[in-house]
Amino acid sequence: MVSPISSIAVLLGSAFLVGLFKKTSYSFAQMLSLLAIAFPLFVSAQWLIHFIGTSDGAVMLYTAGAKPPFSVSLQIGMAEAFLTLAVNLLGLLSIIYLMKPFKELGVKALALLLILVMGLNVIILSRDIFNIFVFLEIASIALVGLILLGKRKHTYSAGFKYLIAVAIISSFLLVGIAFVYYFGSTLNIDDFVAQNLIVTKGLSTALFLLFIAVLLELKPFPANGWALDLYEAAHPGVGALISGGTATASLYVLYKILPMGADYWSDVLIWVGLISFLGSNILGISQKNANRLLGYSSIGQIGLLVAVIGFSDQLGSHFEAIFFSLFISHFLAKVGLFWLSGWVGKTELTAWSILRTKPWLLLVFGIFLFTLIGFPPFPSFFGKWQLIVDLASEHGFNWIVIILAGSLFEGIYLFRWLGYAIKGEKSTENKPLLDWQTALPIGLFALLIIGAGYVSNQWMPNGQSINLIPVFFILALFVLDFLPAWIKNTISIAGLVVYGYLLYPELSDDTLRLVFAVIFLGGGILTLIAGYSVKGKRAGFFPFALMMFAGLIGLVEADNLLQFFFAWELMTLGSYVLIIRGKRSMLHAYNYMLFSLGGAYLIFMGMAMATAGQSGISLEILRTTAFPGWTYALMAIGFLTKTAALGFHIWLPGAHAEAESDVSPMVSGILLKGGVFGLIVLFLAMGGEQAQANPLVYVLGWLGAITALIGNLIAVFQEDAKKLLAYSSIGNLGYVLFALAFMSNIGWMTAITYSLNHFLFKTLLFLAIGGVVLRVKTHNMHEMGGLIKQMPLSFIAVLIGIITLAGIPPLSGYAGKWLFYNAVIAQGWYFQGAIVFFAGTIAFLYCFKLIYAVFLGQPKDKFRQVKEAPVWYIIPQIILIIGIMVFSARPDLILKPVGELLSGSAYFPTDPLNWESVTASTNLGYWSGYKIMLVIGVMFMVLLGWLLLMSRKAQKIKQFDIVYAGETPFTPGTTHFSHNMFAPLYRAIGFLTLPMITQSWNRVNSTVHDFADSARKIYSGNGQSYLVQILAYVVIVYLILF
Amino acid sequence: MINFNSLNIETVSMGIGVILFVLGVWGIVSQKNIIKIIISFTIVDTSIHLILVSIGYIRGKSAPIIDAAINKENAANEVVDPLPQALVLTAIVIGLGITALMLSYALRMYKENKSLDINKFKALKW
Repeated sequence: MVSPISSIAVLLGSAFLVGLFKKTSYSFAQMLSLLAIAFPLFVSAQWLIHFIGTSDGAVMLYTAGAKPPFSVSLQIGMAEAFLTLAVNLLGLLSIIYLMKPFKELGVKALALLLILVMGLNVIILSRDIFNIFVFLEIASIALVGLILLGKRKHTYSAGFKYLIAVAIISSFLLVGIAFVYYFGSTLNIDDFVAQNLIVTKGLSTALFLLFIAVLLELKPFPANGWALDLYEAAHPGVGALISGGTATASLYVLYKILPMGADYWSDVLIWVGLISFLGSNILGISQKNANRLLGYSSIGQIGLLVAVIGFSDQLGSHFEAIFFSLFISHFLAKVGLFWLSGWVGKTELTAWSILRTKPWLLLVFGIFLFTLIGFPPFPSFFGKWQLIVDLASEHGFNWIVIILAGSLFEGIYLFRWLGYAIKGEKSTENKPLLDWQTALPIGLFALLIIGAGYVSNQWMPNGQSINLIPVFFILALFVLDFLPAWIKNTISIAGLVVYGYLLYPELSDDTLRLVFAVIFLGGGILTLIAGYSVKGKRAGFFPFALMMFAGLIGLVEADNLLQFFFAWELMTLGSYVLIIRGKRSMLHAYNYMLFSLGGAYLIFMGMAMATAGQSGISLEILRTTAFPGWTYALMAIGFLTKTAALGFHIWLPGAHAEAESDVSPMVSGILLKGGVFGLIVLFLAMGGEQAQANPLVYVLGWLGAITALIGNLIAVFQEDAKKLLAYSSIGNLGYVLFALAFMSNIGWMTAITYSLNHFLFKTLLFLAIGGVVLRVKTHNMHEMGGLIKQMPLSFIAVLIGIITLAGIPPLSGYAGKWLFYNAVIAQGWYFQGAIVFFAGTIAFLYCFKLIYAVFLGQPKDKFRQVKEAPVWYIIPQIILIIGIMVFSARPDLILKPVGELLSGSAYFPTDPLNWESVTASTNLGYWSGYKIMLVIGVMFMVLLGWLLLMSRKAQKIKQFDIVYAGETPFTPGTTHFSHNMFAPLYRAIGFLTLPMITQSWNRVNSTVHDFADSARKIYSGNGQSYLVQILAYVVIVYLILF
Repeated sequence: MINFNSLNIETVSMGIGVILFVLGVWGIVSQKNIIKIIISFTIVDTSIHLILVSIGYIRGKSAPIIDAAINKENAANEVVDPLPQALVLTAIVIGLGITALMLSYALRMYKENKSLDINKFKALKW
């Protein structure tokens, strides 16, 4: 194998050689530089393959024919090979990316880049601290030289601030190295460690200077203003080199010297790193300049990596996998984002809407952002998962809180940014040209992220338990995105059908899971059918729709916590993109994401606490958690954000109402059940009837009741049909939560019935109303009216839907009610029960409004010509109506096996429903869906026949055959009363519907933003204040330590 | 009264080095003129060289150059530690490079803003 020393020689030699070329032979110099970097790239790759293939340890390379301390030694092992590979790849792609600006600058720029890459290589390989110092300086000089060549505004002052800060830091480093040599008589890291010196005051001060200088090179918060200014001012290609190149090398220096220091240095690294991660991400949320924001984010991510190095002892054998996953995520995503920012050209975050002109760049942008935040299937997800689980096993809960809080703040600004890109105002200026020099590096890095995701998934403990088939299917859909929508739709539906077929044997004896699998997969198929009405390509829709369904079904399949959390995050990612596709969805999708992210981290925290002190990560360990209070409370709140319980509901109305017509039923009828299923898993873990005594359950019961009341009440006052349905979902999910909280056999039967009903009627209603909205192009009910003639099928669908919703016999909504009363009486929760009952009565009001304002009353002139909803909307509605009919007539088909499952297991053995063929009974009474259906059916037919008989002579009247006070109306508007329909009710109890919760969340939001905005004023822009901050940082850390 | 006879060269050079270091750092953070800041940096740089040399000095030993005066076989016992001196050489070169870069930045900054006052370069912040 080729020695890495020859890489260094080649880089150095060619840097000199390139410098000799004239401007006329520039392209030759360029070719030479590319080759010169390709060579070390090849060498690193060769070594990496060697180390992966064999189990050899690291190889020590000696120079000058002597061993240390008389010469400098280099070491290449797996880590060095990998990191130099990363740095060399960055160098090679940087030459390509910077081809145009470099051409103007001439050969000097090429030479500087080669020197920079050489410096980084030596910093990674060298085992000699002075040698490391020298090459840190060489790399800095080369970098600052590159900055000097740039011609952007304020670049010079930013570069000067950087230079002077680095000069001070390296002064500390050099003094530290000198004294380390004084006490240890060697500059070689391994020799120093082998000596095992007794730590004296002098030596520990020397090591302090060494460590603090290396830490300062990594720009710890808050002593990092100099770096932020540079990130903002430098050419994005240079920013990429700083964030991906010098930071990588300095991180590895920190890792190398860690064994030299006393044990407390691990703790210092942890605190310095975590403070950087949290602080930098908090301050980032007020940032509006993209490149500076990337700087904040870089500093945060590097802080996390520093902390991981500090944790290396705790993480043990998992350290490499965790560090690799987090490092490669930061490296690829951050560099990629810097490169992208160069293409966007403008600095404001809002300008990134330009990405929409190149959809694949938008996708790549999304990959980078989701990688930074740590969503599956990207490597950072697995890294963060394992990091948190391992920290939990050491009971490092405070650390976990800091990491998750920092991640949440990072999510706040990254998702706002993504929102601007996907939905922000279109910029009117000409779109920038995309040349191959830009496209190639960015595209390559995005692909590498996906590859790295696979590697870290396979590498992580338990990672292989994750079923990757859906992920590959989704990837294939991305590849096939050029096809017309109907082909992709067929492929997607086929995928769901086949998956359901394969899954069925696994679930056939677990009815509870099977019910949810039917909701998720069956619902997915039905709602996708509606998508056939969309013409064109519908770019980017299907992969994300399938991602959401894959996540949902993954929840049902999950056996362990990692599978569950993976599925949960996959579902969140997919649904976010679906929601943001709506026309006015930018803000709503953002709110949805923030609540989902916060909820996910609470769930994560709860799971991590459950794993503490237990072996394995199977779902079973939730049952035996050492911290039942925390685990259950955190996870419950997390799931409640998804079911939109009151307090966490503010994202739902906008997200559901503004989504596309066929997306609304997906995210309402289907997605919400993900949260319900999560709660079920959690409650099962809490252990059946014993949990009745748990105060948490009592609180949840109340929360469910109040959510039902307020959700329904707000729905009554809506003028927007889809918003009405959305608020109604909040109320309905309140019922489900209330029924689950009974923690009794019959209570759970109620919850399952409610869930299934809500899926059936809400999907039906959203499809029907969605079809209407497609035709009339408005959501406002008072602008519709009298559509029964034009859209009779939609009318019937809505009628069936609201009968089910309102719980009127004979449809299955009544089954839910009957079970509910039984459960309330058995439980004795009369007061809460009365609230829920009252909420159910209120539901009648909005049900009436929905059907009256839209379909009845007077038809408006402009809608006289509208047609029935597209047939692709009608087909799933018919199937859903059949479903409702079957479930209404034969509820035993589903409820009996569910009941048997609940009674048969250890959860709720007492007081089950007794079934006698179709008739269910409790000790309070009996009920048969079939008989009720029959009785009501006969009554209906009799009355209908009677009506027809009586009105056979009646005369049909025309729309305006009515007279008001002697005046004949000509406009339909004056004869159709549907606006502000329940005004008197609003005057009476409207105060309950004031957006108080939204206001308090807004207040939280503005407080955090104000804080971040004033806190970031410490970066005053004055180079000398930055230096004072550095000095103060050194002094404060010293005082804390000694 | 300071007893000058008890002072030895390494203590003096170390002491001066430390004093210069503090002075230089003070100058960097207190001077407003960019050229003066750069000069302060060179003072810091020099102070580190002094500290380095004084670390390697062993009293009564000769310079680490093998010539007629120093016996090759016995060199290790007769000369001061050569390593810090080699380090100083390297550090001087690096210091030179950095100073040159700083000056060229100062030049560009002056051309851009017609000022050398560090307070005039605060456009980037927060």
